[in-house]
Amino acid sequence: MRKLYSGLAWTVAGAVVVQAAAIAFAFGGMLNLIAEGGVVDKALLESFQAGGVGELGFMIHGLVGGLLIPLVALALVIVSFFVRVRGAKLWAALTLGLVALQVTLGFAIVGSPYLGLIHGANALAIVVAASVAALRVRRARLADRASADAASGSRSEGASTDAVAA
Amino acid sequence: MPSRRDLLRCAVVGVAVATALGAGALAWSSTLLGEYSVMGMGSGGTTGGAGHAGHGGQGAAAGGAAEASGLLDTVSVTDLAADPDRPADVRVELVARQGTVDVPGGRSIEGYTVNGTSPGPEIRARQGDLVEVVLVNESVADGATLHWHGIDVPNAADGVAGITQDAVPVGGRHVYRFVAADAGTYWYHSHQVSHVQVERGLLGAIVIEPAEPDGRIAAPTDGSPLDVTALLHIYGGQHTLNGRVADERVSAPPGSTVRVRVVNTDQGTAAVWAGAPFRVVAVDGHDVHEPGEIEGQRVLVPAGGRVDVAVRAPDRGAVRLHVGGARSIVIGDASAEASAPPVRQPSTTLDLLAYGTPEPLTFDAASPDRSFDYVISRRFGIIDGRPGNFWTINGRMFPDVPMFEVAESDVVAMHVRNDSGDVHPMHLHGHHVVVLARDGVAASGSPWVVDTLDVHPGETYDLAFVADNPGIWSDHCHTLPHAVDGLVAHVMYEGVTTLFTINGEAGNRPE
Repeated sequence: MRKLYSGLAWTVAGAVVVQAAAIAFAFGGMLNLIAEGGVVDKALLESFQAGGVGELGFMIHGLVGGLLIPLVALALVIVSFFVRVRGAKLWAALTLGLVALQVTLGFAIVGSPYLGLIHGANALAIVVAASVAALRVRRARLADRASADAASGSRSEGASTDAVAA
Repeated sequence: MPSRRDLLRCAVVGVAVATALGAGALAWSSTLLGEYSVMGMGSGGTTGGAGHAGHGGQGAAAGGAAEASGLLDTVSVTDLAADPDRPADVRVELVARQGTVDVPGGRSIEGYTVNGTSPGPEIRARQGDLVEVVLVNESVADGATLHWHGIDVPNAADGVAGITQDAVPVGGRHVYRFVAADAGTYWYHSHQVSHVQVERGLLGAIVIEPAEPDGRIAAPTDGSPLDVTALLHIYGGQHTLNGRVADERVSAPPGSTVRVRVVNTDQGTAAVWAGAPFRVVAVDGHDVHEPGEIEGQRVLVPAGGRVDVAVRAPDRGAVRLHVGGARSIVIGDASAEASAPPVRQPSTTLDLLAYGTPEPLTFDAASPDRSFDYVISRRFGIIDGRPGNFWTINGRMFPDVPMFEVAESDVVAMHVRNDSGDVHPMHLHGHHVVVLARDGVAASGSPWVVDTLDVHPGETYDLAFVADNPGIWSDHCHTLPHAVDGLVAHVMYEGVTTLFTINGEAGNRPE
């Protein structure tokens, strides 16, 4: 469970990096389209071609941000209930909360462009929250292994399998 | 060796996960639509008890009689047709094909053609003509239909797959017949898998010329084209004007007026502006009453909407009319194109709510018989097994959206509010609606009569129309992917039924 937990948390953090790359690619494509004499208007935008060669970037950003990350973050919260590490639930919940905020901001950007300032900064907060979640559980796993090694070394049978990380 | 406690915990987790997955699968499968009829879709858009009660009061006797006679009084959508005995004045055969669309001036794309080109041939009829169009589907694999966007055709000719007909399969044909009652600029397009077929070219323009020539526009005397169509469409990311990736030139004698019929067949709003004053003489096929000159403003044409503008050829040189973001038409002395350089798009938009001068409406909109809300919003959910962030109507997600039930000759009030973050070009089939007010501000110009209306985020529109065309009519967003994502409701007349279904054997998928 701990391995799954940290795997999911790293996935969220990694997917945010994909998001940053995808949106930069998309806007690169759009600017390239304009530089070559193209015109970006609502009609082009709604026919999913405003990104030019970077259109795939918009699609990835929408799919990963609108579906993949929320699902993984949700799975992280569910898995956190089976991981006995102090703070695992808290950091998973925090990650999901930030993701929910991020998706809401993303859909609201068209109406209120200034929200883009928070959308970009909040992305970094998600990376931090997901990384802290992953690192905490990893540290607990390493600590457990160390104490288990020590326990087997001293032939002590009393080591708790449910050790709680300090 | 795992302890008993570990085994117990594993068992509990296993049962919990299995239950959660089972419940999830059940919830997911309950969203699958399968084959369905719009007849079975929800009701309950009605608001404003006074209006509705008033209707009940005045029509109680008639309503009771209709209910007593029950099914005997019902009429099928296929029977709501033009006079079958009247010979056609204009007869056209349109052959739909799937394949490569040649885009002159650009690169060709894979899509659909009508009679070998896209856009298909422009149909011209005179007001009062009976138009008969035969659609032949030669090779459109998903099947095809023709919808007459903006023309208030009888319901049988509306061309919506799964509501008024089955999609015409490969090798099949279908006859559309209607009287061209209202002069104006319209267009035709497929209403089967429309978000793909329209975007990829199964469309064309249809112009109904007035029975009496419009005195405001000089009639072509010497055969010069003083009445031109500007059909906008994006093919594979290429902005085209009448199917070509190129601007156009219209030779017009100095001082003459050219009518440009702008048809926006795209999925989003198009802007129209010029370097010289011009007038909007018609919107969605309805003349504007006493339109004033527009200078330093742009006109926005909703997706699916049409605007006819009158441009005066200058005494010397030419004037450039920008249609859509990328294309333009140079009008006047065609050899003097250099005298009409591109002009920057104005940032202020012509407000049609206060354009032209008032004129009495043909009906009393102050005391509607029915009053409906159409509130657009958005939330996460699952439609037909597909998760996503979907549009809602009055807080409900497709197919649980309202059915706007009306009786013939009702005056219907519609209150459209956009609580989402996107523009929605709302299109009602078979009727024209008059805009009474926006955000509580009453209309103060010429009657603003539309079939396609851009509703921007946060806006509220008070609309009214007369239920004078019995049938079952879609009332949907014409940014067609939005319709796929649930932004579709219907206006249904009492006593009208359809036997056509969606997702059934005929493969009808109107959106």
